Amino acid sequence: MFAYDLRLAALSLKRHPGLSALMMLAVALGIAVCTITFTVYHAMATNPIAWKGDQLYAVTVDSWDPEEPANDKQPEMPPEQLTYRDAIALKASDIPARSLVMFKSERVVDPQQSAHKAFRTIIRVTHGDFFPMFETPFLYGSGWDRDADAGPEPVIVLSKESNEKAFGGENSVGRTVRLGDNEFRVVGVLDDWEPAPKFYDLNNGNFQKGEDAFIPFLWGETLELPAVGNTNCWKSQTIESFRDFLNSECVWVQMWAELPDRETRERYQGFIDNYVRGQKTAGRLARPLNNRLFDVDAWLDFNKVVKKDNRVLIGIALLFLAVCLVNVVGLLLSKFLNGAAMTGLRRALGASRKDVIRQHMTEVLLVGLAGGVLGLLLAAAGLAGIRVIYGDNYDRYDQLTQIDPVVVLLTLGLSLLAGFVAGMYPAWRIGHTSPAVYLKTQ
Amino acid sequence: MLEMKNVGKVYRTELLETHALRDFSLSVEPGEFVAVTGPSGSGKTTFLNVTGLLESFDSGSYFLDGDDVSRLDDDARSRVRNRKIGFIFQSFNLIPDLDVRDNVEVPLRYRRMGAAERRDRVGKALDLVGLASRSRHYPSQLSGGQQQRVAIARALAGDPAILLADEPTGNLDSLMARQVMDLLEQINIMGTTIIMVTHDPELARRAHRNVQVIDGQITDFKPYEGPHAPVQLEAQAHA
Amino acid sequence: MEFQPIMRALWRNRTGAILVALQIALALAIVVNSVYIIVQRLEHMGRDPGLNVADTFSVFFAPVGSSFNPEVAMREDIDVLRALPGVIDATRINAIPLSGSGSSTMYYTEPGEKGREAPGNYYEVDEHGVNTLGVRVVEGRNFDASVVARLPDNSSAFVPELILTQTMAKELFPEGSALNKTVYDGLGQPARVGGVLERMHGSWVGWDKLDNVVLHPVLTSERFASYLVRARPGQRDALMRLAEDKLAAVDNGRIILEVESVEELAAKSYADDRAMTVYLSVVVALLLAISALGIFGLAAFNVSTRTKQIGTRRAIGARRLDIVRYFMVENWVITTTGVLAGCVLALVLGYWLSTMFELPRLKLYYLVAGVAVLWVVGLAAALWPARRAARVSPAVATRTV
Repeated sequence: MFAYDLRLAALSLKRHPGLSALMMLAVALGIAVCTITFTVYHAMATNPIAWKGDQLYAVTVDSWDPEEPANDKQPEMPPEQLTYRDAIALKASDIPARSLVMFKSERVVDPQQSAHKAFRTIIRVTHGDFFPMFETPFLYGSGWDRDADAGPEPVIVLSKESNEKAFGGENSVGRTVRLGDNEFRVVGVLDDWEPAPKFYDLNNGNFQKGEDAFIPFLWGETLELPAVGNTNCWKSQTIESFRDFLNSECVWVQMWAELPDRETRERYQGFIDNYVRGQKTAGRLARPLNNRLFDVDAWLDFNKVVKKDNRVLIGIALLFLAVCLVNVVGLLLSKFLNGAAMTGLRRALGASRKDVIRQHMTEVLLVGLAGGVLGLLLAAAGLAGIRVIYGDNYDRYDQLTQIDPVVVLLTLGLSLLAGFVAGMYPAWRIGHTSPAVYLKTQ
Repeated sequence: MLEMKNVGKVYRTELLETHALRDFSLSVEPGEFVAVTGPSGSGKTTFLNVTGLLESFDSGSYFLDGDDVSRLDDDARSRVRNRKIGFIFQSFNLIPDLDVRDNVEVPLRYRRMGAAERRDRVGKALDLVGLASRSRHYPSQLSGGQQQRVAIARALAGDPAILLADEPTGNLDSLMARQVMDLLEQINIMGTTIIMVTHDPELARRAHRNVQVIDGQITDFKPYEGPHAPVQLEAQAHA
Repeated sequence: MEFQPIMRALWRNRTGAILVALQIALALAIVVNSVYIIVQRLEHMGRDPGLNVADTFSVFFAPVGSSFNPEVAMREDIDVLRALPGVIDATRINAIPLSGSGSSTMYYTEPGEKGREAPGNYYEVDEHGVNTLGVRVVEGRNFDASVVARLPDNSSAFVPELILTQTMAKELFPEGSALNKTVYDGLGQPARVGGVLERMHGSWVGWDKLDNVVLHPVLTSERFASYLVRARPGQRDALMRLAEDKLAAVDNGRIILEVESVEELAAKSYADDRAMTVYLSVVVALLLAISALGIFGLAAFNVSTRTKQIGTRRAIGARRLDIVRYFMVENWVITTTGVLAGCVLALVLGYWLSTMFELPRLKLYYLVAGVAVLWVVGLAAALWPARRAARVSPAVATRTV
């Protein structure tokens, strides 16, 4: 029966080729626009480390100006970063299973014993826990341990790309690179790792290029590495030396903790709150207690990774799809009702109402499916076009425009659903027309 | 009333030339009821289309109600159709989305007639065909005979010079057919010239005069006077 | 003419007509609001930055190794740049305007963080800065070379004088001129307002204080410094390559990292706005296209299924023009209904957008323009099918197929 329905449907579509093409095109365009918009939205809204969602927490302390909040658009929130002294103090706790504090810096790297040129690198100055916490994949070697943190030992982890630049992509574990005046020993090389969005540090853009190298945190102090990223100071202070900077109320350090269960989380929160109370007696941290732990989803939300714009675009895409569907419903209705004489004949020959509806829905689903496939192709072309036009940018558009298998499935499902919704009313109408009316001559 | 002299119509395609009408001459007096018969393919439909100015013709002349309608442009033909000719079609050709009243007044609308006069004429026409009580019904709610009567009302509403009927009872059962024929006779008695195209000799008998079309040419012959006489069909070349 | 019968016939088959009207209504709502957003973004991107964006470019460098003597090297570099043929001027600077990277601080009219205050995006330039940036000084004057100095390393020293934009001047000194008045930093150190710029944009295009810019007469330290160069019109691209080559040839302990035009940096900053604009433009174009096609397709189909009726009308006296007019009136009724409903939808959508996303409210003349466009599209799309209908021969009425 289904094969018969298919044949009838195909014949019916061929009978009015222009109309059928128009319907498929309308579905295709609506699906394409939705797919492109959903893809970008999905990329922005993804939690790239969702499987560890409830274990990783961004740590914040409200160290801001007692007179006004850190962010006037979200006045109940603390600043996103910590001061150096707060970060160091909090890091001392052994409550979290793992923790790190870090900041972004830059240095010119001069690979030694290598023919390759010097180049500037973005360096993340962090703790060894960074690698297991964020489950970074390694091509060669590994990260460093807590002893190396404590030293600090002159160890360095390179990104895949900087390893290519410095050592031509070879296994460089054990070799040295020169950062400014200091030599660092390579202990590991990361494989491709570009979490999108770059949840652990959203300060300079949500989809920033990854770091080129990682070194232990305490080198920041020793080498007086400049903080590249955002540095915000609410208090006017005399800052005449690097030490002054480290002691200032400027926030420029990021902190993450791995808290595997609720109990740990509550204990840690208690620890943080106690620390802040202690500081209050020393005259610091005068704002009301507002030290928050953000899991990754909450963190992405706090940082407004999914922008207002994206939400507007989703709405517009859906409205566009609605117009396309209204279009298709109108065309289907006309077409079906015009074939009423033929349908009336079939009814006279024994087709039931259900048969008629089913047969027409088959035609509708064919249109929906064809439109959906065409729409996917158009979407792929559109996304490729976006990549080409926007190529190199602060926010990497190619990360936003990969076709996701999830999105493909969703799209095909949506096109079938759309076809179904569009076809329901016309099929019902033709099913319920009394055959006698249309069999009469006229 | 109607004067056609040596009318010819040719259909040309890439492959062949068909002379649908050749040397066709016909003369109809006011008040006549003429039946035009002939086998299928003989050119009856072309005759109907040409007479009704639905199609143009290639040679000869055609005078209708005193006017030369031979070489008119499209707009002028429309005007003549609107004012001088009333059509009655085999499949009624009522507009399904309009009710009876709206259907009957369509030709009057094209004449830019005022609302009051339209209402008046429509009322009279529906009274004449006996369907005044159904003026708000839709064609799908009427029987075949009723639909044809509405079509007749539509044809009459504009007071045409002639009525052109194409197989008016072809889609009706014998009872309804008789009703419609009675109506047509009545209209003719009241003074309207009628040309009826039919292949049914029974129907043809009810007209004053029979004209036969074979192979695009006309044969004029008088109706028989007595009952049950065999109908003689003769093809005669016409000068 | 035949208005009422057309209406009655339409009403009998109202679902189809309603669907077309609904389509037009939705299209109008989306188009009007999208165009509004587009225009807003274009205005946002088109604001006058006050400085020369077309001819300026930046040079980023980094010291490598210990042979780098900062002041010597940087002065040498600037001299090389200023000497290049086709260069109007060059300066050391701490950040590039419109690039997304920069520094800001608070300025007060009284010491001790008192009085009126305003945040300012500051740029450290020498006496060539104003000329390199291409900004207009409307009050006072540019820095004198004597006042430009390198601040002691790691100090919190303030500058003796500064130049600020009119916007900032008004914010700090609403009545009267700001010229020669004193502003203070957070530590209470004073600076004299030596000049006022007509306008200048800072680094962050999304910041609502983008017009608050201050120039400091400072030779930036090597930690933050880059070079800003202004070329003669039309020579920028060639000069960018020349500058990179010439500087790379100078061996003074630093490498050239990147040479980028301010235009490109600004484009990157506005990339999201531009993407939104392009996306919405494509949606608007597709929407109008699909609406036109849909109306056309439906009208053509309706004509093709009504040939018997058309032939009959012609047979009983309709001229070709009457047939065209019939279909156009039918289409006009549907289009107008759709447009009217669309106005309501457009206003509702506009209101929702403005409250949900803090966008300004829709202006009425967009609605008027949208109505006009959709009306024309709706009618134009039906014109060809209507003329096709008129070509149906009256002889169709007598066919018995």
